[in-house]
Amino acid sequence: MTLAVFLPFLLSALAAWLGPRLGRRTGYVAALAFLPALLLAAPLVRQPGVEPALEVTRWVPDLGLELAFRGDGFSLLFAVLIGVIGTLASLYSVAYLSEWERFGRFYAYLLLFGGSMLGLVLSDNLLALFGFWEMTSVTSFLLIGLWHTRSAARDGAVKAFLVSALGGLGLLAAVALLSIAGGSSSLSGLDVEALRASPLFVPALLLTLLAAFTKSAQLPFHLWLPTAMEAPTPVSAFLHSATMVKAGVVLVAKLGLLFGTSPLWPGITVPLGLATLVWGAWLALRQTDLKALLAYSTVSQLGLLMSLYGLANPAGNFAATAHLLNHAAFKAALFFVVGIIDHETGTRELPQLGGLRRQLPVTFAVTLLAALSMAGLPPLGGFVSKELFFEAMLKQGPAWIAVAVLGSALTFAYTFRLLRVFLGAPRAPAGAQPHEAPLGLTLPAAGLAATALTFGLLPSSAEALTRTAQHALNFATFSGHLRLWHGVTPALLATLLTWGLGGLLVWQARRLESWQRRLTPRWNANSVYYSLLEAVNVLSSRLIARTQGLALPDQLRIMLTAAALIAGVGVLRAPQVFHPIGTLPLGVLPVAALLVTGAIGVLLARNRLTAVVVTGLTGFGSAAAFLAFRAPDLALTQLLVEAVTVILFLLAFRYLPGGRDLPRSPLRYGIDLLLAGLAGVGATLLVLSSVRFLAPPISPYYLVNSYTGGGGKNVVNVLLVDFRGFDTLGEITVVGIVALAILSLVRLGKRGHTPSDRLPPEGERP
Amino acid sequence: MSPKRKHSAAPSTAPLTNDPVLRSVSRAVFALVLLFALLLLWRGHNAPGGGFIAGLMTACALILHRMATGESALRLDPIRLLPWGLALSFGTGLVPYLLGKPYLKSDYGYIKTPLTGEFEWATALLFDLGVYLLVVGSSLAIAYALTEVNPQETVEGDE
Repeated sequence: MTLAVFLPFLLSALAAWLGPRLGRRTGYVAALAFLPALLLAAPLVRQPGVEPALEVTRWVPDLGLELAFRGDGFSLLFAVLIGVIGTLASLYSVAYLSEWERFGRFYAYLLLFGGSMLGLVLSDNLLALFGFWEMTSVTSFLLIGLWHTRSAARDGAVKAFLVSALGGLGLLAAVALLSIAGGSSSLSGLDVEALRASPLFVPALLLTLLAAFTKSAQLPFHLWLPTAMEAPTPVSAFLHSATMVKAGVVLVAKLGLLFGTSPLWPGITVPLGLATLVWGAWLALRQTDLKALLAYSTVSQLGLLMSLYGLANPAGNFAATAHLLNHAAFKAALFFVVGIIDHETGTRELPQLGGLRRQLPVTFAVTLLAALSMAGLPPLGGFVSKELFFEAMLKQGPAWIAVAVLGSALTFAYTFRLLRVFLGAPRAPAGAQPHEAPLGLTLPAAGLAATALTFGLLPSSAEALTRTAQHALNFATFSGHLRLWHGVTPALLATLLTWGLGGLLVWQARRLESWQRRLTPRWNANSVYYSLLEAVNVLSSRLIARTQGLALPDQLRIMLTAAALIAGVGVLRAPQVFHPIGTLPLGVLPVAALLVTGAIGVLLARNRLTAVVVTGLTGFGSAAAFLAFRAPDLALTQLLVEAVTVILFLLAFRYLPGGRDLPRSPLRYGIDLLLAGLAGVGATLLVLSSVRFLAPPISPYYLVNSYTGGGGKNVVNVLLVDFRGFDTLGEITVVGIVALAILSLVRLGKRGHTPSDRLPPEGERP
Repeated sequence: MSPKRKHSAAPSTAPLTNDPVLRSVSRAVFALVLLFALLLLWRGHNAPGGGFIAGLMTACALILHRMATGESALRLDPIRLLPWGLALSFGTGLVPYLLGKPYLKSDYGYIKTPLTGEFEWATALLFDLGVYLLVVGSSLAIAYALTEVNPQETVEGDE
């Protein structure tokens, strides 16, 4: 399992390197990355329901953070699902992507995403789970924004990221609360009894749901999913069908075992899921872009899954897992098909397409299978799992089943809207010569559609797969089965009603369309999102204008006052500061005089250049002081930093205006004098306080251990590279980031120039 | 709010000064300073020195060279040193971690060769080398960027 998670990450680096060299063939390498994930199917097939395997890799054990991967039936099933769709998406993209795509990036991001997703479903450690969760957010941001020159892609990426980051924060808090209340940071090690009795139970529950709803695009967070279709189609298939959006569903399924006892859990998830089912289907019915239609259909189907898992009972878990498999099969197939249509005709707009069944007979057959599975028609997998859905909702009450039927009827209707591109008179944009797509595009879709058919014709195969999750999701005792024919049951009647209603909607499609146009609300989740974003922008810019728009001297005054106050309180609280005045080494007085001279010199300097040079004097004076205190390392560092700073100052000042004194009133003079005095006294007292140790000093430890522990005689250096090496690593990272930031600031507005093309050409060099 | 700048056509590549004295001195001093910087890097583990100081000193030498001759002695964009430095430091720390010791734990030992006698090796030197590369890269990148700003570009309203 550890390998299954890590291989995509490793191969991602390789793919980034191979991408520009191998071009589209990198996709075959990418497909290899999912091989270990596919092999995880072996334990599932061999012995369903054995003890889950646990693999632990050290990460930061001191923080309770380790990579613990737990292969229970459900996690493994999901991991295999990710592996299958990931492999197919990689292979499909080889044929789909154009020659000038940036393959290095595309496959690197795709594999990073696949790896994070695998980590997410397999993680047993809550902190690691959160880490992988956030990684899926970041990588999906990169994937959606892959074609970053298009503003729609950027917008979609940002939207997806903001919404799922909100949920991510919720998950972080939930994870923290869970591990405090449950006494463990491992999901399987949580103390369930203590957790349920804890007052943190309800907040953790709500925060978990927030995370799950944002990730799985439930109302009102559904807005990000349709714009996420700006990603290339293979990515959409991966993101929408198997993985990213189902992360929330996984969370609800897994944590439902913990939270399910509270009436709040189904009380929130089931109604919200059903509402998403209906609203998503309603919106899907309105789309003219095929991919947008599928995206809203995903929103709707996720609502269905959410409502089933939200029940947190055996019947719900069984039905949901069965539908999860079906959905992955038909939705990925449909995305692949839409990719084929786009590829062949150059458009995805419904009104421009028609009668494609003549030119694309194979694609038509594939679409028919997948789409009818989505609509829930026999003998396909979707029909079987929809029966279970109705059964579960029938138990909840008449209102629930009514909503479920309505949602399914709308699903039926939009499925036929999708199929319209194949029916009727042939129509295609001018110049397009649609013909059957290459095998590389058709095969993945056909394979998935065949799976959908198998799940329907041989329900026992789907049941065998579903049952692998029975111990993990606690539905081993559930007696229901997946069958095509259960006899005349209430669920069957509900299905017949759905078909009738759906047929009516298809028949009256035109009237429905005009209705939909009239019923469009004036504001929707998208407009709310944009006004929120706008409000936040306005607020932050006003805040900045208020707090940072002052003149430099005024800001300095504020800072000095704050520093004086803070230092003053500190000194007053620690009266022993005054004690060591008598023990000061007087030998450094000349150096001190130098420092003071430098400081006064800066004040008197009339021009910036002089001021900088004189400031340097104080720096070099400090270096001398360090030398006097026998700290040659510090002195050397101080000297060099001072030298470089002076150089950089001088370089920067070349194009600043000459120094000018702002007019100051006597009152201002007085205030400034007072502030300067206070700051000086405060700093002196602070330094004095550091001369006397309030606690036993830590330096002897380093003196004793630096040679044996780090192998160096220079304690300062050993401290930097070994004992506190992690700090150093952080610091040099900061140094690097600062350099990049300054570079981009200086180059601002000078596009197209890099330093290398500003150097003189080869011949002109002396 | 932002000051308007008068853009001039081509960025200047001429030396900042045309001082022959500076040029001769820099030619003599350049190699010495570089050598000293490398010495600081090498002996850092047992005596005052280390990657940070050595990096700054190297940067000083290169900036001096650039000022005096108008030409970069480093034949690559200094910003490129950043990722390598960071990767080297990070990678050095990762090795002990993968071997089951704490992250960044350094190791050391002694080698005896007939030519040099006994001397100490320490993985900390590699870490320090990463720091060195990064510091050289950052300070040079900043200095070069500021050098390449055309001094004729002035803020409007300047006297």
